[in-house]
Amino acid sequence: MASSLRISTVGVRGIVGPGLKAHHALEFAAAFSVLLDRADPVMIARDPRASSVMLREGIVASLLASGRDVIDLGLAPTPVLQHAIQRTNAAGGISIGASHNSAEWNALKFLGPNGTYLSSGEASELLDIYHLRKFDFKDWTQVGRLHFDDEAIELYIQELERVFDFKALEGLKIVADCSSGLSSLILKRIKERHPVNITMINAALESKNFAHTPNTNARTVGLQLAPVVQAIGADLGVLFDMDSDRIAVCCGDGVPVSEEMILPLLADYQLKLHPGRMVITNLSTTSLVDDIAARYNASVLRVPVGRQHAMDALAMYPVEKIAVAGEGTGAVMLPEFRFVYDGIASLLALASHLKRERTSLRKLLTQMPSYDMRKLEVGLDAKRIPELMTELEDRWAGAKMNTQDGLRVDIEAGWFHVRVSNTEPVVRVIAEMRQGSAEELISKLLETVRSYA
Amino acid sequence: MREHKLKVGVSGVRGVVGEFLTPLLAADFAQAFGAYVGRGRVVLGRDTRFTGPMIEHAVACGLLAAGCEVVRVGVQTTPTMQIYIAETGAVGGIGITASHNPAEYNALKLFNGEGLFFNHYERTELLDLFHQGEFIVATNEQMLGVVVDQVTPWKRHINRVIKHVDVERIRSRRFRVALDGVNGAGSELSVWFLKEVLGCELQAIHVDPTKAFPREAEPKPESLGELMELVRACGCDIGFGQDPDGDRLAVCDERGVMLDNDDMLALAIDAALAKGPGDVAVNLTTSSVVDDVAARHGRRVYRTAVGEANVVERMRSVKALIGGEGSSGGVIFSGTHLCRDSYTAMALLLDRMAGGTQSLSQWVGELPKYFRHSGKVQFAHGKLGGLMLGMERNHPKAQLERTDGLKLVLEDGWIHLRASNTEPLLRVAVESRSEARADQLFSESMTLLRA
Repeated sequence: MASSLRISTVGVRGIVGPGLKAHHALEFAAAFSVLLDRADPVMIARDPRASSVMLREGIVASLLASGRDVIDLGLAPTPVLQHAIQRTNAAGGISIGASHNSAEWNALKFLGPNGTYLSSGEASELLDIYHLRKFDFKDWTQVGRLHFDDEAIELYIQELERVFDFKALEGLKIVADCSSGLSSLILKRIKERHPVNITMINAALESKNFAHTPNTNARTVGLQLAPVVQAIGADLGVLFDMDSDRIAVCCGDGVPVSEEMILPLLADYQLKLHPGRMVITNLSTTSLVDDIAARYNASVLRVPVGRQHAMDALAMYPVEKIAVAGEGTGAVMLPEFRFVYDGIASLLALASHLKRERTSLRKLLTQMPSYDMRKLEVGLDAKRIPELMTELEDRWAGAKMNTQDGLRVDIEAGWFHVRVSNTEPVVRVIAEMRQGSAEELISKLLETVRSYA
Repeated sequence: MREHKLKVGVSGVRGVVGEFLTPLLAADFAQAFGAYVGRGRVVLGRDTRFTGPMIEHAVACGLLAAGCEVVRVGVQTTPTMQIYIAETGAVGGIGITASHNPAEYNALKLFNGEGLFFNHYERTELLDLFHQGEFIVATNEQMLGVVVDQVTPWKRHINRVIKHVDVERIRSRRFRVALDGVNGAGSELSVWFLKEVLGCELQAIHVDPTKAFPREAEPKPESLGELMELVRACGCDIGFGQDPDGDRLAVCDERGVMLDNDDMLALAIDAALAKGPGDVAVNLTTSSVVDDVAARHGRRVYRTAVGEANVVERMRSVKALIGGEGSSGGVIFSGTHLCRDSYTAMALLLDRMAGGTQSLSQWVGELPKYFRHSGKVQFAHGKLGGLMLGMERNHPKAQLERTDGLKLVLEDGWIHLRASNTEPLLRVAVESRSEARADQLFSESMTLLRA
């Protein structure tokens, strides 16, 4: 059964009404205030969903009652909130919005004092406080105050201007599908002051009737973005999720690019700037990343799937050692942006990449090796999963194995990864072959996996 | 005895903010309220307490989750809110105010779509829904938003008030008026109303809504020393003291002497009945001076159980013109709205003063003089019936009235006993035209009840 509420170290996410309720917002905000040890203000921002206003009210109430001052950025995307937290003395932040989920969903993302996502340890402590309900509501004389910050987007754009050369992007024709979400607030301002040629579609913020599901995948790109890109002869089409932390793209011919390709493209861009730096990604991401890293004499650190694991890995290395971090969903973090998933920065990096290479996106993609990747998911009885893993290990005995997150096996011409989803009760099977078809490998795997269904 | 730091009951939620009244409780209660009144516009306002904004956000959260549209009116007096609810077709309203309680308290006052306090049955149904805990909750698709209107509530309120008085004759007198607004929700409205609308020469203190309450929140002689001083120092014709949510009023005469609240109510009734016909409803503890005043105008007085909602219910059913509760300084004038309203009370008193040449103390002096005492007695659980019987035996000739506790009406006075709703306390009030008799009735009663 698809659940309508999920509370995990990633945060809290659910369908508003049957799953995610007002008290979740109140209780999580109260728990978050206990978790943050500094007494500084907490920053919040929200996406345009109707339910985001309800959740905001609850969060503000709990934070004020916990003695915290609150700084509200209003309607602002997560990357802007993260930037604002870092440039001020905020103790942390809460982003209200369900990024790529459809309108009935909502979610809370918790951010630490540097604007980064919580580490696994902090996230599980937050859950413990929430479950124990050990809140700390203050005496009436110590109730916090609410403030507003309407400069956050402006200051964020100033940071983009320090990192990217907007002048160099002149002449590049870009179509952006804002998915009725917050990216339009930033793109509008960028257009006002730079000679960039960005055509926006679905730029009006919507609280209920999104132009389409804000999912950043090839299918969504094909709906509205690709036809417009084709019609006006653009160089690049880009689709944002609601809170513009990730993107999906299509070429000038309107053909959607697999979301798996975003990280390799940006790794290429970043490694050329900083050769030899490390790339961090998860065990399920295409081995194209390894190929590109090898070109620049860089290593790839693979971590279990999930934002938390990437954050934990990032914390172990100095910023100047890392070129890029990301996953196959199109979510990418750049060191210049404090390692937060930032769709606007991803777009600017990709556009800069095209300009630097003086070529089209299509050509860049055809220059890359073409690998066959297959993804499938199977519903399994949870108690039989360990048996399944043991059988797979036996079958591929002798191959290079990684058991950090399910089982990843590297064979001569490719690899596969069998793991249990963090968000749904399914087993995900991913196989990629560098030569030939992955068909045989995936069917072999499926046969074994299904025998445990 | 347990200290009552949190009370969740038929009158809503009231408590000391922090450990007791939490945002979680406020949001839950508001959500139950929203589910009860249904998906429509709910007016949300507050007094000037520091915890008001925090509770306001929690309540907005609960209301939105229930699928209501929230109309935020900001800092407003309780009567302003009630009138606004009634005039704008809202399905209900929540006022965040602990009224005359100390600053560490806050509470939710609940209003129905007519801008009236929830009656007993509505409150009970809401409480059941709250305890049941499973309300219909809105999905994103069903969810409505927050709209803000901080300007029109004042105008609507004052327009209603001035319809019933002769504004020009009040203005022409340029009364010297002193005001203590307790830095409450009415601070700015009162200054505008008295100065601009009624043309008074105003001496105002504690009218900064951003500041803390400077005195005990309940307007009574013990807390209004500064007002009395101000009246004397500035030679004012009258002084007004408000509570934080602007429903109660205490009045000071031109000599700097506080009026007894019952006498203030009697004067307001006198002023109202002089202007138009109608009956009167007051609670059982209100002074008999009200009966004398009503009799002068040939009008009837209905007596009700203690509590604003009870008086309002009776006023509504008998179509009374004016009513109130003596001890609390509340005047309810149906021409404005069926709510306690300090602004209507101020207007009625000034209007009457403008119509004659008497000073306020002279006008009060015309009221029959009654002597009153009140007190509290703790009683052990199960002993209350015995105490009441003892009182009946002591006064075999008394007429008995059992609407709210026991009222013994004697030829030369009365005794009213009622148990508190929240504590094992018996409240005792006595009244007589003779000072000696009042003293005697009171000491006899207290001796018997304490035994």
